[in-house]
Order: sequence, then C-alpha cells, then structure tokens
Amino acid sequence: MQTVQARHAKVELVAQQNDVVPGQPLWLAVHYSLEKDWHIYWINPGDSGQPPVLRWQLPQGFSAGEIRWPRPEKLRRSTLADYGYKDDAVLLVPIRVPAHLKQGTNVNLQLQAKWLICADVCIPDHADLHLDLPVSSASARPQNQSALVEQARHRLPRLWPYKWKASATSDKDDFLLTITTGKPIQAAEFFPLEPEQIENAAPQPLETSAQGARVHLKKSDQLLKPIPVLKGLLVLSDGTSYQVAAPVTQAHAKAHNN
Amino acid sequence: MKALFRSMLYSGLVFILVTSALAAKVGDPAPDFTATDSNGKPHHLADYKGKYVVLEWHNQGCPYTRKHYESGNMQRLQKEWTAKGVVWFTVISSAPGTQGYVTASEENDYAKRMNAVPTAVLLDPDGTVGHLYAAKTTPHMYIIDPSGKLVYNGAIDDHPTADPSDIPNSKNYVSVALQQALSGKAITDAATRPYGCSVKYKD
Repeated sequence: MQTVQARHAKVELVAQQNDVVPGQPLWLAVHYSLEKDWHIYWINPGDSGQPPVLRWQLPQGFSAGEIRWPRPEKLRRSTLADYGYKDDAVLLVPIRVPAHLKQGTNVNLQLQAKWLICADVCIPDHADLHLDLPVSSASARPQNQSALVEQARHRLPRLWPYKWKASATSDKDDFLLTITTGKPIQAAEFFPLEPEQIENAAPQPLETSAQGARVHLKKSDQLLKPIPVLKGLLVLSDGTSYQVAAPVTQAHAKAHNN
Repeated sequence: MKALFRSMLYSGLVFILVTSALAAKVGDPAPDFTATDSNGKPHHLADYKGKYVVLEWHNQGCPYTRKHYESGNMQRLQKEWTAKGVVWFTVISSAPGTQGYVTASEENDYAKRMNAVPTAVLLDPDGTVGHLYAAKTTPHMYIIDPSGKLVYNGAIDDHPTADPSDIPNSKNYVSVALQQALSGKAITDAATRPYGCSVKYKD
C-alpha cells in the first residue's frame, strides 16, 4: 500500500493481496479519503465536473481493465446535480497477470492518477503511485486479503438479475422507465451512465406497481436524437444498486402501431 | 382511488417539471432577457435580432475557465467572431460570496488585464439569465441565430479537461458551429455536453 497526501484528499493504492500469483487476476484499488465537503466524480459526472483518469504503467504481459465504479451519490447545488463521491471512494481495477513470472522477483505496478476535486471550488490534481509486489507460487493461496478491496467488490453495482425486466418509452419531454422485478418497488433512483440523456437535477416521480415500478425521467435539453437504450444504475431503497440497460421505444410510434 | 390519486399527483408533478424547467433547447426560440453589463448598460436580447449572438458562461476562478483565458483561447475567439459581426456576451452568474462573483469594476479590471474583448460582460449575480438558459458549467456556450433561435448549446470544445495543452488538439465546437452557420450550412454538432465547474448559483 502506498499513500499520497493530495489537496483535500488522501489517496492510496491498495492491492487485493500483498503478492502477485502468475496467471491469477489481481484487483487493485485507488482509495480516496476526502476531506469534509469535498467530492470527486463518477464516470458520468452529471451537470459539471470530471471523472478521475487512471494511467497505468505495468510490466510486459500485465494489463489493466476498466475502472469498476462504485455507486455514486447525487450531489445537488441550486438547480444543478452532479454524480460523485464524498468522504470515501474506492475505484477498483482488475489487473491481468501473465501466466509465467519468475519466482523470487518483484513486480512494479505504476499509476498516474488525475482527478478533479471540488467543494464550492474545483481543483484539478494528480498523484503518482506505485506498488512493488513479490511474485509467489500459486500454491500459497489465499492470504492477507485486503478487507478494503473485498468490501469494495461486494458493494459494486450488481448485474441486472436475468428474471427482471427493464424497458423505456420515450415521449417529447420524458422517458418512462418500467421496471419489473416481481415485487412492488416503493422507491428507487436512476443514475444515467451517459451524460446529457436526462435532466440530472429533475425529480424522478415513481409509481409503484404490483410487479415493480415506473419511473419518470425528464429528458436533457442536450438530447436531440433518439437513443436506442437507456443505461445506468438503479439504486433501491436498501442501497443495493443494479446495472440496468432499458431498450427505448418511441411512445408516439407505438401509438401508431396500435 | 388511492392509485388514481397517486397517478394524478404524479402527472401533476410531471406537468410542473415540464413547465418550470425551461430551457434552452436547440431549435427553439432562445429565452429573451434583459441584463446589465459591467459598464452599467442594459442589453435586451431581442434588440440583437438580425445578428448571431454568443453567450459564454464565465467564472474567472474556475480552472476550466482559466484554461481558456490564460492560454488566450477565449480572447482569440472573441476577437475573431466579434470582428465578423457576431455579438459576444460573457455572462457571470456567480452569486455574491461565491467563486467568480465580481463587482462591475473588478470585472472591468480583469477584462483589461486579460485582454478580453467580448461585446459586453453581463452581470447576473441572482442567476436569472443562467437559470433561463439552464447554464450548467463554466464555460457553457450558446449560439443564437439572427432569427432569435437557439442553434448551439454545449461545450466550448471536445477536450473536457482543465489542461491548456489540450487546446491545440481540440475541435472548437463554437468556431465550427459559427463557421457552418455563417456559410449557410447545417450545424453538425448542435448540442454537446458542456464541461467545467458548476455555475455558482445562489443555493
């Protein structure tokens, strides 16, 4: 683990375990501990802001996957809403480890992280972090698992359960997202994965149904073309979040067919 | 009955949303306003019919605004397009006590120091014009055509960073849109995602 004190945040690079096993993927975590009132951003930052960017420099044969983003919070100010993280954020990245590595050597994993941190004002910042991990044999598994990484993996947004359904209709000003889970949903919040599809600060009126819910999402002013699919996270009242991709049909087109 | 009431309530909510969140949608008439500039002169948007008008949301302390001012990029655009007859309004919607809020004389000092050459800087500390256009970021750019229709709403360029070294490799959406519009062509990127700091409206 390596820690850097940055402006209004402490940033750590943490590995799932303190060694590298040939052929076994390794999870790394970039852990931000943010000062009170300061926040960083989700992959879709919402109305303003910018998500962190991670640039890895890894030994030959290693490769980094995409960031697995934890569930964000909606951060409101006046008529605007951003999506991001306060207090604490763990960005997980899976690292592919080659099958053949020399025992007894060390592996150096380097990261340049860039991010925007904001309170009332915004500051672009960056840090260089690295980890030096010994190569060990596959037989010595598992040991010294990082609790931070394990917990963060458990809290990641879940895949959409295959028995659930999601679809959306599009009319002039709104999307109507219909969620079918088999049980009434009393409350839920939708976080759009793509910017400029919905109005981030608009309320999301929800109608509970016997089998789920219908959520009204106001379209963004910036959305000029129809979209085939509405992607994002659906966060339920118990805090669990699911990755949703709802195919979109045009409401008036449908009316014509009837 | 309860369900009926609920659905009435929700459709009511949706109705309120649609009518209150106004907006500045490309293709629609640009919301009209009157605002006072940093020299005390009022400007009524409707008086500029017949000309292209650019609106540039501004906060001199925001790193994204600084990217375009300390590099001279914004001033170059102001100079180039006002020389071609375009009206350029820089708009400041920072509330008093927030970043970017300036008095008229502070703004004039800044504009002089930075060699900024917009047509005028409109002071909007209560956020009226900002909310009318749903301006989100600094910078956030709009273009209004001579008939008063909004033809561009979005970012200044395609590199959403605070790094001035990205400017030479960026596609400037405002320049491209103005070039296309002035030569009678359709604007290819008419709505993009604005990037930058949030506009510091009164909370």
